[in-house]
Amino acid sequence: MAIDGLILLDNTGRPIIQSGFRSTASTYPLIHIDAFNNALSKALRPGDVDPVIYIPAYNIADSPSACCHVQCADMRFLCPVSGNVDPLVGFAFLQTFIDILREYFGNLSAATLKENFDVVYQLLEETLDSGGHPLTTSPNALRDVVLPPSLLNKLLNVAGANINSTINSGSGLGSAGGPFSSPIPWRKAGLKYTSNEIYFDFVEELKAIVNKHGVPLSSNVLGKIETSARLSGTPDLLLTFTSPQILSDCAFHPCVRLQRWTRDKTFSFVPPDGKFILAEYRYSPNNSASSVARLAAPSAPAASLGKDNVPIPFVVKITFDIQDSSASFDITLTSRLTTRPLENVNVELNLGEGALGIKCIAARGTGGLGRGGVGALDMGLGGNAGASWAFDSKKRVLKWEIASVPPSSSWNLRGSFSTPPVAPRPSHALQVRFEIQSHTFSTLKVEQLQITGEAYKPYKGVRGRSTGYVEWRW
Amino acid sequence: MAQPGQDAKFFQRGKIEEFRADLQAAETKDKKFVKRKTVLKKIVANITMGNDMSPLFIDVVQCLGTPLLEIKKMVYLFLVSYGRSKPDQIHVVIPNFLQDCNDRNPLIRALAIRTMSYIPIPVVTDALTENLRHCLKDRDAYVRKTAAICVAKLYSADPRRAEKGGFVEMLRDLMLDSNATVVANAVAALSEIGDRQDGVIFRLNLTTANKLLAALGESSEWGQIYILDSLLRYVPERHADAETMAERIIVQLQHANSAVVLTTIKVLLYLMNYMENRRLIDYCCKKMGPPLVTLLSSGPEVQYVALRNILLIIQRRPAVLKNDVRVFFCKYNDPIYVKLAKLEIMYRLARAENANEVLAELQEYASEVDIDFVRKAVRSIGRLAIKVEAAADNCIQVLLDLIETKVTYVVQEAIIVIKDVFRRYPGKYEGIIPTLCENLDSLDEPESKAAMVWIIGQFANRIDNADELLDDLLYTFLEESVEVQLALLTAAVKLFVYKSKSDRAKELVHKVLKWATEDVDNPDLRDRGFMYWRMLAINPTVAGEIVLAEKPAITTDSDRMDRGALDQLLLHTGTLGSIYHKNPETFIRNATGKALVDSPALNPHSRAVLIGMTPVQLPPTVISVPGPGPNETHAAPPEAVSTDDAEAPPPPAPKDSRADDEDEDAAGSDQDDGDAEPTGKRDPYSNLDGAFGNYLADEPQPLGANNRGGRHNEVDDLLF
Repeated sequence: MAIDGLILLDNTGRPIIQSGFRSTASTYPLIHIDAFNNALSKALRPGDVDPVIYIPAYNIADSPSACCHVQCADMRFLCPVSGNVDPLVGFAFLQTFIDILREYFGNLSAATLKENFDVVYQLLEETLDSGGHPLTTSPNALRDVVLPPSLLNKLLNVAGANINSTINSGSGLGSAGGPFSSPIPWRKAGLKYTSNEIYFDFVEELKAIVNKHGVPLSSNVLGKIETSARLSGTPDLLLTFTSPQILSDCAFHPCVRLQRWTRDKTFSFVPPDGKFILAEYRYSPNNSASSVARLAAPSAPAASLGKDNVPIPFVVKITFDIQDSSASFDITLTSRLTTRPLENVNVELNLGEGALGIKCIAARGTGGLGRGGVGALDMGLGGNAGASWAFDSKKRVLKWEIASVPPSSSWNLRGSFSTPPVAPRPSHALQVRFEIQSHTFSTLKVEQLQITGEAYKPYKGVRGRSTGYVEWRW
Repeated sequence: MAQPGQDAKFFQRGKIEEFRADLQAAETKDKKFVKRKTVLKKIVANITMGNDMSPLFIDVVQCLGTPLLEIKKMVYLFLVSYGRSKPDQIHVVIPNFLQDCNDRNPLIRALAIRTMSYIPIPVVTDALTENLRHCLKDRDAYVRKTAAICVAKLYSADPRRAEKGGFVEMLRDLMLDSNATVVANAVAALSEIGDRQDGVIFRLNLTTANKLLAALGESSEWGQIYILDSLLRYVPERHADAETMAERIIVQLQHANSAVVLTTIKVLLYLMNYMENRRLIDYCCKKMGPPLVTLLSSGPEVQYVALRNILLIIQRRPAVLKNDVRVFFCKYNDPIYVKLAKLEIMYRLARAENANEVLAELQEYASEVDIDFVRKAVRSIGRLAIKVEAAADNCIQVLLDLIETKVTYVVQEAIIVIKDVFRRYPGKYEGIIPTLCENLDSLDEPESKAAMVWIIGQFANRIDNADELLDDLLYTFLEESVEVQLALLTAAVKLFVYKSKSDRAKELVHKVLKWATEDVDNPDLRDRGFMYWRMLAINPTVAGEIVLAEKPAITTDSDRMDRGALDQLLLHTGTLGSIYHKNPETFIRNATGKALVDSPALNPHSRAVLIGMTPVQLPPTVISVPGPGPNETHAAPPEAVSTDDAEAPPPPAPKDSRADDEDEDAAGSDQDDGDAEPTGKRDPYSNLDGAFGNYLADEPQPLGANNRGGRHNEVDDLLF
């Protein structure tokens, strides 16, 4: 169940950093890099490369292997596995490692990682043993052994005081402050804060497909509880909700006691320090009702599924007029919300091969005027503030952006394009992304946060945020 | 290429000299070893970037005496990288190794044995053996957990020495350690050893398995994966044991780590083979669905792995996800590999209740831009028509609409599947043939052309101008591919049989037979030409009966895998084997196969299809049922059926074997999915009324060729 190592490639396909590969031939990582670059060059779109590439044996003595890979910023992370290993272990480790890197460096890029080469290398050593077994991956424990590249750290280095050496010297091991001394693997021991605070962000994402009649085919809300904890000592928390039954299919951070959740639907946990994701869940509006229905009539589930759908907060009307080698269209987006605006609305439409000469008018309602320009990246600004459109001539994607769609307002994009000499074949699906601030689809409410084991009263905060990604067909 | 390569070499050599000089300079006046540290850092940086630093071996090794952990770490890193390539120099380091193995700092003790275990050179292995024994009993957990992994490395360097030294037993003892990480690593090491073909067999008994479960809660996510995976090595002897264990691990489905979730599912699927309690089996199936769906909200890579596994799981346990077909609807922006995997699952989940919903989706996809995807979508519509009779009318209508679009690849794909639809529902849809004939000119691929020619030949009596059409097609006979030529030959003969009075038909068949036997080099075509010719010459009536013999209705083109093979593949859920749908021992060297192990608790239906590790050598009749299995009503028939089918039925007795098949299908789904109704209504495939048998290979084939699993193939081939 061990992976073989890790390779980071920059956007030209050259390795920047790689782990040891000590139990394999030295050519092994090279074969993987080569195979990956080959596959990438053959793919029509960079996203279309099979995520698990089969790598035949280089010579008879070797065995074939597979290369798992993910894209991250301008880099590719490769994770070769051989033997009958779970590729998900590879992907899970890649994700964990990327999360750790984010935690250390913020926004990732090949340049950042090159700059902080030594820290990345130390992280690799701590997280992946040379046999490919993942070791310490909890950020809390890692911060004890690998210092983040902070300003303070740099200052200390310049001043000649070497923190790494004192930490690594081992003298602290076993005593209270040393690494790996905490009895709870995800939490540091002996934390002290002057102000104790904990924040919960409920971030929900709506993913839906709407068919050409405006009926949602599938719509799902997936939520995450992003938590930021700065609490002293070892607090034991109990988080309760007013309507926990709307949380279904939960996946928890290891700190949450699963038995307690199963028994009385509460979150009981000792939190890690800093930022972490407490739980992920799926919002099902009539969870209790539908599960009863399913038990009662297992043969007629299709009907009950429909009720599970979460309403889409807007309506889109599209008309397309397609001629022999040109087309014109008219798209209207109307918000269904009554109190809050939809923000950062971003609509994308692929116009198909050969689309040229895009002319559009983006406006609010149906009356306003906006003008579009023509160029490599055609741009236009909406007449009455906030709406703009652009055409990415490389990907043939028309983008329509509206910064804020006030409640019940209507927005319109009209335009035309030509595709000589062939007939236009625009995609029959619009991709709409949007955000709603201070709103959750589930309207999940925290009832109480109890803290035991520590005397202080922390400052508590709860916020909601929603995003959506809807495919609207016409 | 040679020039830049050489340049790089020079560049490197220069650097190595530089580093060496720096190291030597650092030996004097190195306050707090800052200089040495800097040079070593540079060297290590070069190692990890893949530059060869091995010439510095002696220089670097000399730094080992430096009393600073950071430097020690870097030197050890260097040794791990180049130690094994320096068998003649490695002895220099041994004293340092031995000293560090007894250091009072546990980090250093662990570092020393870990490094040694990566250098499979006899001198080092000798030195390691004794120290490793101590470290496995070290009072510090960090050292013990490191030592556990080292045993696996020692084993791969010298298996017999490791066995003689009693290390495997020591690992076994470590599985009962008080520290969860140590337990997990011991399990990982034992699994690594057990997976080797020359390794000892690693099985768990109930007590140990329970001990491991106790450690599960405290382990890291990676430790949980090792422990869960090892549970596949436990063979439950009683139904209750399997059931209790399933109840204990089911909570892990809520873990945030996707690999933990999939491993848990794998173990549950395995344990279900040994369970009796249908309610619990149902409950497990129900619980497995949502986490699988949750995996689909991850990145496309994880989605892909999940989808490939879901495809296997729903074939074996149709109850999982059977109401969730909407989850698999493709989005326009999904990567192509995700779309194709989803398409396959949608087809599998389709049944009468949701067929129209699925059809509407497929129709949507057929208008997309990606040719590959569109073709698969069109083909799926035809497969849907064959699979779900209730939806066949609508599917045909959609296919006709698609032909209307005149997009060539859509038309061709549609005609290929319609040919199969004709065979599945004889006498029902022949009315659409004229529409198909209108599109003759747009067919430019052999497969679609051959399909169209087959249709014309088969239904020549219903197509008024069949002779004209064939005549047109025959203009290019000699340039066509063999596939089309064969189809044309047969079609011409069929036309002649139908219309033996017509001069034109006579002329056509004569022309084709002459071409086939005289102008074509392909031996198959020539032989078939001669055969037809002889048959027609000797007795045209009998020839007609043979050529137009009633064909058995086609089964679905279901590539539903053989149950036994599925059971075996599911043991590899989440591994490379399940991605490629092949058992790993067939494509990974040194991989050991996994197979369900028989025990009194093994579910009789799983036992009936039990596949041994070397299934190929087993003659079909010797599948024995050892052990005092619980006597259940359904226990015997499947086996009896399988032997019967392999030997008995004469070719024209498809009805009988079909009936047998149905029985078993119903019984099987009844057993597995806990359905109370004897007809197995909840099995999505059962409402097809045995339209397709239980076990089918990839190809559409007549019902008579009862293909019961791979091992019967040869026998069947001989019969038909």
